[in-house]
Amino acid sequence: MAAPGSHARRRAWPLLFLAVLMFHSLAIYLFTRGFLLTRTELDVHSHRDDRTGISPGCSSWPPPAVDRLVIVVLDALRFDFVAPSTFFQERQPWMDKLQVLQKLAADEKTSARIFKALADPPTTSLQRLKALTTGGLPTFIDVGNSFGAPAIVEDNIMHQFAKNGKRVVMMGDDTWIQLYPEHFNKSYPYPSFNVKDLDTVDNGVIEHLLPSLHKNDWDVLIAHFLGVDHAGHIFGVDSTPMIQKLEQYNRILEDVIDTLKSLSTSGGPHENTLLLVMGDHGQTLNGDHGGGTAEEVETSLFAWSPKTPPNAVLSVLGKNLCNADLHGKEVCVSTMQQLDFAVTIAALLGIPFPFGSIGRVNPELYALSAGTWDNQQIGANDCTQQNDLEAWMRRYAEALCINCWQANWSSVLRSTCPLETSSQDELKECANKECTSSALRLQIDAYSDFLESFAKLARSAWTEFDLWLMGIGLSVMILSVSTQALAEGRVANFLLATSCIASVWHSATKGKFIIEEFVFLLLNIFIRFGIEFGMSKQISGSIISNDHPVSIICGLFGSSFCSDLMEIFPIISLTLVAYIILKCISYAISHRFLKYSVMSGSILSYIFIAIHWASESTLLSHTKAIRETGISLAPRLVYTIGGLSLAISAFYRLFGSTDHLKMNERITSLSAVMLCSWSPTILILLGRQGPFVALICMTIAWCIIKLQQKNQRELKLDKGIHAADSVSVTQWSFLAVCLFYLTGHWCTFDGLRYGAAFIGFDHFHIIRQGLLLSIDTFGVSHILPVLSLPFIAICWYNSASKNSKVNDATVTRLIQVWGLFAPKYVFDAIGLLLTDLLVVLASIYYS
Amino acid sequence: MCLHLYTTYPRLIPQFTESSSKKFLKAAARGLLGLPIGGAFLNAFGAIVLGAPIGIKYWAATTYWSLLMSLFTIVPAACVFGASKVNWQAVLSHSIYCGSTDAVDYMISAPAHGAVIGAWLGAWPMPLDWERPWQEWPISVTYGSVAGHLIGMAISLALIVAHKRRGRAKAD
Repeated sequence: MAAPGSHARRRAWPLLFLAVLMFHSLAIYLFTRGFLLTRTELDVHSHRDDRTGISPGCSSWPPPAVDRLVIVVLDALRFDFVAPSTFFQERQPWMDKLQVLQKLAADEKTSARIFKALADPPTTSLQRLKALTTGGLPTFIDVGNSFGAPAIVEDNIMHQFAKNGKRVVMMGDDTWIQLYPEHFNKSYPYPSFNVKDLDTVDNGVIEHLLPSLHKNDWDVLIAHFLGVDHAGHIFGVDSTPMIQKLEQYNRILEDVIDTLKSLSTSGGPHENTLLLVMGDHGQTLNGDHGGGTAEEVETSLFAWSPKTPPNAVLSVLGKNLCNADLHGKEVCVSTMQQLDFAVTIAALLGIPFPFGSIGRVNPELYALSAGTWDNQQIGANDCTQQNDLEAWMRRYAEALCINCWQANWSSVLRSTCPLETSSQDELKECANKECTSSALRLQIDAYSDFLESFAKLARSAWTEFDLWLMGIGLSVMILSVSTQALAEGRVANFLLATSCIASVWHSATKGKFIIEEFVFLLLNIFIRFGIEFGMSKQISGSIISNDHPVSIICGLFGSSFCSDLMEIFPIISLTLVAYIILKCISYAISHRFLKYSVMSGSILSYIFIAIHWASESTLLSHTKAIRETGISLAPRLVYTIGGLSLAISAFYRLFGSTDHLKMNERITSLSAVMLCSWSPTILILLGRQGPFVALICMTIAWCIIKLQQKNQRELKLDKGIHAADSVSVTQWSFLAVCLFYLTGHWCTFDGLRYGAAFIGFDHFHIIRQGLLLSIDTFGVSHILPVLSLPFIAICWYNSASKNSKVNDATVTRLIQVWGLFAPKYVFDAIGLLLTDLLVVLASIYYS
Repeated sequence: MCLHLYTTYPRLIPQFTESSSKKFLKAAARGLLGLPIGGAFLNAFGAIVLGAPIGIKYWAATTYWSLLMSLFTIVPAACVFGASKVNWQAVLSHSIYCGSTDAVDYMISAPAHGAVIGAWLGAWPMPLDWERPWQEWPISVTYGSVAGHLIGMAISLALIVAHKRRGRAKAD
């Protein structure tokens, strides 16, 4: 029993943990301010009459060159999806699927072109859409971006469309609606978060796309397909669903192009239309995107105008990257920056350029639309030669001049940008208008140089880390974290195995062989394979299997046996887990009401889990109704039961009389209740691998506890201090890290198991699905280990808090700055805060 | 690696068995027995537990490495101690450095411990993403174990010298 003095000390523990939590939060906040790049958004907008009255030179926004614009966005469109396979070293199965674009680019050289568009990281859809429309460099967290309302406040082309009377129709990804809530005349949004669903968004777009092309009530049409992105996330690039998706797109694009062609006769609704087929970012071979690797950054843009510009366009379009396609015709590819998209579109449609844009009007894309080749704009000129090219160059120089002015003005307003000195000279050059072709060329080059250096400066200003803030945050964190532990799964496993071997060694010197140690060693091998399998999935990407440790065994026995085993094994191990947990409850909890309620609750939830899996499996045939109940209703019931038993335990903790219990009994029963209420939810979220992982986890926990007890006994015989305590807790925390990787997670945003968020639910809801996703992600690695610590610590009275202190120091990871990338940082930060929070809660709960 | 294996093997055996040829043969037989059974198997098992890659590609490398490790660790001890349980326990524990009476104990255990610790430390650069050729299994580990073995030998030499001095001082 506790002495009064230690009572008071126990009271103090939660406060101490709270202080640690605050300290960590502060450190992470400071570090984040420096590391996750932030950028101020300007809320100044360009106006149509910005330039009137300013002389000399470019005095108004460029005149419209196209009347209507069709933008087909194919999410995560890799460059090699569009470009002919002859541009790459070897032909891969996913190449040459969008034949219609290649054919058009080869046949109509003057009016169709494939571009390699280079995006800037972060290559996530939301940031890319923002960049495409604002022409800026969005970061992960933009200042001014409030939570829950990501609507863009910066000037962007959507805003300019709306202000200048361009009617916009949007169909597809509902991210657009979040970004531009009131800019569309008509919209057909479809939910984008459910990655398992390859077709809903696409079918919705297909349904509306062709009919809309025949209508006259819009000027800009945006159709955003998501299938390729989702297929990449789930199956990887080299997979049948991906190829099917690409083939489907090929058919759709064929229809779109045919329709446009048939309506593009003179006087037709699409006489002066430009079609753009583009990706917002690329993807790696296993479907990830977000980073800055070539695969993720390189996306493609295909532009085609039904009205053919004069042949002089060929001298504008670069010829440096040409290759024969599959049919032996020559196809050329140009390169452009995604930054340039916003201004180029604005120049083509004749609207004011977005104020914050740092791109330049892309000459090739600008030249592709026949409208820029009309001579209407060159009124009074005294030049002798009046060929098409010169006229076009004059017009382009005009556009660039405006472009320079806009960029310069916004940089002046953005006081952080040290550009003023150089830019003044450049702008003076704007004024000197010369007429000869070579002078025009020089002028264009000067403008381009200026805009390029401007973009370069902006890039460096917004993509450099704030080292000072980072340094402070890091040092605060180092101060608060005493032990350095590594998060990498294999390293954690290595350390776990080392501690294990060290203990074997230790006992071998004493001349004893303890069975638990060997079980521990063997399980270590098992965990190791599991982690490696998960890693190989991360690297190669194409294999998606719910229960990878099992499928290793499967590989040994052949595939027919394998599929049966895959179905049966989870159920068997689930029964085992349920049996062990029930045993545990009946042993640990002495309070009768609590015991029976928790017991019945967990029995029910395990039955529901079994029903859920049975209804998903293909071994048994069910009627549709039963299957649907099993799939959607059972998980919800499991979540409800988990929540209920949590509530009961909290209730019991608050009001239950515990005086007659010994301290350690009380803690045992409390933590048993805690585990029982969390575990079914985590199990069902983990999917079929769940019970297997749980078995491993429980066996290792058992080993650790047994070993610890043995050491304890020895030490008591030797009358030593409790030195083994920190060893077992360290092992426990390494195990937690291993389990995180074992369950198929890894530290990137794509490592999130999005599928888990949709167990039991079909539709996306930000709080609900976010909660499920975080339970799945941090369940085995944070929630369960921290809450079950008391089991480890149960050998002593009143020492739960002391142990969690040690664990807090060991589970906490020191973040290694220089080799660090953002997602991992975010994971670690969240993990650290979550651990702190859980430790605070646990210390309140158990004290 | 193979070369090393062949060159060290004949060198180590006579190191610990100087007396008679019959005893030498017995020790050599023990060593031969200990090489594959105890040494290689135990070391390979340890390496696999600690995360050595498994596959047909790595099979030969793992075998060579574990043979080398067993030369460093188990074989010398097997030659001298045979199946004596007490001696083995003494070799494993660190208490051998404090209160040993026999110089041979130092000669066996210090290099063996050095090799194990060196190999363990040698594994540390492997997960780093430097993408150097020597980060492949088991190159860095082998370097680590060889270095550790050499350091262990130096330490054992120093210990023996100290031991002899102490012995002489006692005798005086």
